Amino acid sequence: MIPELLRVAMLGGILAVDRTAGWNLMLSQPLVGACLAGALVHPGPEWELWALRVPIAVGAALQLLLTNPSLPAAQRPHDTAAAGVIGSSVALLGLARLHPVLPVSAAGLLWVVVGVAAGLLAAVAGGWFARLSKGSVAAAAARADAFAERGEIGSFERFYWGGLLRVFVSGALWAWGGTLLLLGFALWFLPQLALTFTARRAGVVFATILGAALAVAFHAHVRGRAHGFRWAALGAIVTILVLRAFHVGDRP
Amino acid sequence: MIDAKPERPKTALRPGDLARVATRAFHIQALLSPERMQGLGFGFSLLPVIRRIYPDPASRGLALKRHLRYFATHPVLSGFALGVAARLEERRANGAATSDDAIDSLKRALASPLAALGDPLFWVTLRPLAGLLGVLSVAILPRPPAGDPDLRVLLCPLVAILTYNAVALPYRLSGVSRGYELADRPDVLLRSLRLSELKTFLERAGSFAYGALLVLFATGLDVPSAAWGHGAGGRVLEVVPLLLGAAIGFFGMRRWPGRSVEVGLTAILAGAILAAGR
Repeated sequence: MIPELLRVAMLGGILAVDRTAGWNLMLSQPLVGACLAGALVHPGPEWELWALRVPIAVGAALQLLLTNPSLPAAQRPHDTAAAGVIGSSVALLGLARLHPVLPVSAAGLLWVVVGVAAGLLAAVAGGWFARLSKGSVAAAAARADAFAERGEIGSFERFYWGGLLRVFVSGALWAWGGTLLLLGFALWFLPQLALTFTARRAGVVFATILGAALAVAFHAHVRGRAHGFRWAALGAIVTILVLRAFHVGDRP
Repeated sequence: MIDAKPERPKTALRPGDLARVATRAFHIQALLSPERMQGLGFGFSLLPVIRRIYPDPASRGLALKRHLRYFATHPVLSGFALGVAARLEERRANGAATSDDAIDSLKRALASPLAALGDPLFWVTLRPLAGLLGVLSVAILPRPPAGDPDLRVLLCPLVAILTYNAVALPYRLSGVSRGYELADRPDVLLRSLRLSELKTFLERAGSFAYGALLVLFATGLDVPSAAWGHGAGGRVLEVVPLLLGAAIGFFGMRRWPGRSVEVGLTAILAGAILAAGR
């Protein structure tokens, strides 16, 4: 498991830099984080099918749920970057380890539900973690001023690169620690309820998550936007026409 | 005879210097603090310019200190303010009477409208749209035949990344040089960005894509058999939990905007309670 966790940590660090340090290349979105984690944390060829599908479903659900249409200053400090990575990693590492008690063939969707729940919890806890690690940045301005007054711009530059490294390391640590923590909890908790898990029940919970995700996305993309309803209706009509034109969904 | 050529400044910036500023601006928030916001990042990004035009450590230090003050704008558009500051510093190094306060006030005067235009465009509109298109591509891209690897795990995030960066990257890459060129005409600079027109277009595209997603979702939902998806990989999906989740999501976000994590966890809990009774 150590190589997988190392890859998760590296990915978490990169996404933290994207989210916090200003790259803003869209890498730190839950869909991207979850899918990249899925590609990196591959439990092995025998899990090929689920190892690639679970991250897509976890990422899509988290992307819809965690899209916040308000300005960053008005948002609660949730760590959306780590949410996708941790959610996807917990699901994949858990499904490979708990297969004897929770067969994937019977309840594959269970791992999507576990991944989404882990991702949401990681988003909240990651926000607290980020707030804790920000305390050290407050003293940075005084040190930067001191370097500038002494004309030591090389020292200032190294100090700044150090700040960037700190963002990476704290993101990597949280992705590593959060995955380990939530995976440990899943490995302890889920076997105790193994007898109650069925494909049908997992499907019911998954459907509830999907309904909530679509409703949250409605608030982000339609409600409150000028002519939002009109354009959403147009999108729906055009899609129906395209589907009919290409006979998509026709069944024998 | 009078030489018609304008006199070349003693210390002129080179295109490479501006390019280095643009690449450094990608890290502008690494030491973000409530006290200075992006001030430290601004100074860090401008270092290639400071190194070029000021020869001795003392004047370099003074120039750096000027740019460590409070500065806050949208990170994608920060390059425009950096370009303006680079031009002003270049003039000052060549003997123009430009005070510290004049540089600072022009930076701030530009930072506020750039933030006011950039935040709603990039954070509120473009980023959600790019994510939505990534999710939409999960529904549009064909599922591979059984046994083949599901490459959607790479293609869907790629759609999201490409959508966002197709709009944002040109602003980031050209910002410093555009700001440098139009340093004396900030009003022209701001108007030339056409950010509000772009926002209107992207807002409509977001609503359009949401309508498309709903239809693609509904056509994948086979109500009579209570199964979602066309065969392989599909799992039980019933209408009642879907509606329950939608109600929790809709009313939860209406009552507590911005609390989507709590809404999601509530939906999982409600789904688990509903599932326990079946």
